[in-house]
Amino acid sequence: MSVIRVQNLSKRYGRSSGAVQAVAEASFTLDENRIHGLLGRNGAGKTTLMQLLTGQEFADHGTIEIFGENPVENARVLDRVCFIKESQRYPDDFRVHHVLSTAPRFFADWDADFADELVERFRVPVKRRMKKLSRGQLSAVGVIVGLASRAPLTFFDEPYLGLDAVARQLFYDVLLADYSEHPRTVVLSTHLIDEVSNLLEHVLVIDEGRIVIDADADELRGSAIDVVGTRTTVEAFTAGREVLHRAHLGSLATATIAGLDEAGRAEARAAGLELEPVSLQQLVVRTTGDTPGGPADRTNGGRA
Amino acid sequence: MSAVDAPTIPHATATPAARAWRIVRLLTANPATTVGWPLGILTLIFVMNWTVWWLLTRAVGPIGDGETPDGVRFNGAVSFIFVYMLVVAVQAANQSFPLALGYGSTRRAFSAGSALAFTLLALGYATLLTIGAWFEELTSGWGLHGNFFRTIYFATDAGWPAQWWIYFCWFVFFFFTGTIFAAVFVRWRATGLSTAFALLGLLVVGLLAALILSDGWAALGETLAALGPLGVASLALVPGVLAAVVGHLLLRRATPRS
Amino acid sequence: MDDSRPIYLQIAEQLEDDIVEGRLPEESQIPSTNELAAFLRINPATAGKGVGLLVDQGILYKKRGIGMFVADGARARLVAQRRERFREQYLAPLLAEAQKLGIAPAQLAAMIQETAR
Repeated sequence: MSVIRVQNLSKRYGRSSGAVQAVAEASFTLDENRIHGLLGRNGAGKTTLMQLLTGQEFADHGTIEIFGENPVENARVLDRVCFIKESQRYPDDFRVHHVLSTAPRFFADWDADFADELVERFRVPVKRRMKKLSRGQLSAVGVIVGLASRAPLTFFDEPYLGLDAVARQLFYDVLLADYSEHPRTVVLSTHLIDEVSNLLEHVLVIDEGRIVIDADADELRGSAIDVVGTRTTVEAFTAGREVLHRAHLGSLATATIAGLDEAGRAEARAAGLELEPVSLQQLVVRTTGDTPGGPADRTNGGRA
Repeated sequence: MSAVDAPTIPHATATPAARAWRIVRLLTANPATTVGWPLGILTLIFVMNWTVWWLLTRAVGPIGDGETPDGVRFNGAVSFIFVYMLVVAVQAANQSFPLALGYGSTRRAFSAGSALAFTLLALGYATLLTIGAWFEELTSGWGLHGNFFRTIYFATDAGWPAQWWIYFCWFVFFFFTGTIFAAVFVRWRATGLSTAFALLGLLVVGLLAALILSDGWAALGETLAALGPLGVASLALVPGVLAAVVGHLLLRRATPRS
Repeated sequence: MDDSRPIYLQIAEQLEDDIVEGRLPEESQIPSTNELAAFLRINPATAGKGVGLLVDQGILYKKRGIGMFVADGARARLVAQRRERFREQYLAPLLAEAQKLGIAPAQLAAMIQETAR
């Protein structure tokens, strides 16, 4: 069952020469009750995409269906959505406990005990003004609202900015545990891919507004592999294969190959090449980077 | 295993009334802002005024007996509260709007909720001021012939309901004027607001010029005098309601971070 | 967690290892999907997929309302499977490496005997 269905979504900011195509003809489907990762570089369009999906921004064209309906100004849909963004602004006169007392009114499934527990675990000062919170504490408040809302569709837009490694791990652990007990659809945008890669079931990679990867996380993992060896051997091996990335140091070369099956791997080993795993983060970096051997080089056979 | 294959629980959604009400609660979440501070400052201003009257009376004589200036009747101190409410409205639209949208509210619900919140506050404060005015009458000007609530801009002899109505209309006017300026700001940011002020300034100057040139100035003065505080206040409702409507129309295309 | 292969496969393998090495005896209960997920810090659906794989192979079975258990004869079956894979998983790389180092098969056999003592 798909909870989000997007077709040809586009959004541009600005006019003529200064214009930025934040989202360009994005089309994808997200299944219900999964943890989806929305990955990409800074400025790739992750936040804009989420804002379009939650009706906070207006699209130039394209269709969005959330729970089968257009989410813009649609209370039926928005009541079931929670969008926590890292840049959320709060009224000047709000203290943390005001956030925790107003949020429940908007989320029917709010769990107050859970919220209290999280406040303690993240060590958030309940009486302090929102304006006086540190970056990490602000993120923690956002995370707490996102988790305690138990909204059927929850978006986390880089929710961990400012959180130290311990707090981040706490967030992942709490998210996983709560998701196990209260399944819902979670969309998590991040550029810290390796940290979350084990949590994700489905991955969307966006680059300059375009969706460049839309795949099951498990399939993606292991779909690319590095072959390492002498330049000539590597070049001979990669002829006719899909190469995502190349690099070389002197006479040593490596190439990232997509979709190398067991036979292919055996062939590589037989040719004397070493095989090295490519992490999800490396895969995303190589697919979206503009270093030599990046997207422009992603052709069958490619040149050196 | 089965944990992640559980079907989605059918979700009860809120009624439109509930959605508007939660915006009211959002805007009044910190009662210090909407009740605490204004009442506190109002009390302070009142005390300061009373002290001045007391000093005047001691130094010169009872107010209003010919020797002491009648100027206390023109005391504009209570206007503070109107201006404060305008600021509250501006803050609300500007700061609570992004949070409301962040919580998943629609813009429609936000406008409805804000309007409801401001109307309720207007009702409450109008009642408060009327009670104050009543006490003022009762104590013959707080024992010193002072005028705080029933100043010349607001006092009417048409009865207490009329007195209440005057206060209410002005609150509505100030709240929604604040709303519309904030809506302009939220939609078009600083450039938009400056442009709006500039246009408004031009409009006012233009009107004044037209009045003066056509000798309508005197006529305006007469009309205002004829209308009296009651009439003028009722008239102020018109731009107030208009501002509310236009404010909503502006917010319909506003985004949290335009 | 290895980057080069799907996590659910690695889960399945880890469970298989535990069974083969006796850490999970036959008819014993394995941790629930949620427990596995929390412990390994992975998505419960992925953990479920790994467990599901073993259920399909008859290594695990489900007792309604209680949980997942190691099937009778699972260990024997896994050992048999691994014996078959032994040649390509361990022997082939061993021979390739030995060849690189110029160790002849006969020498290799002698080394094995020696080391086994």
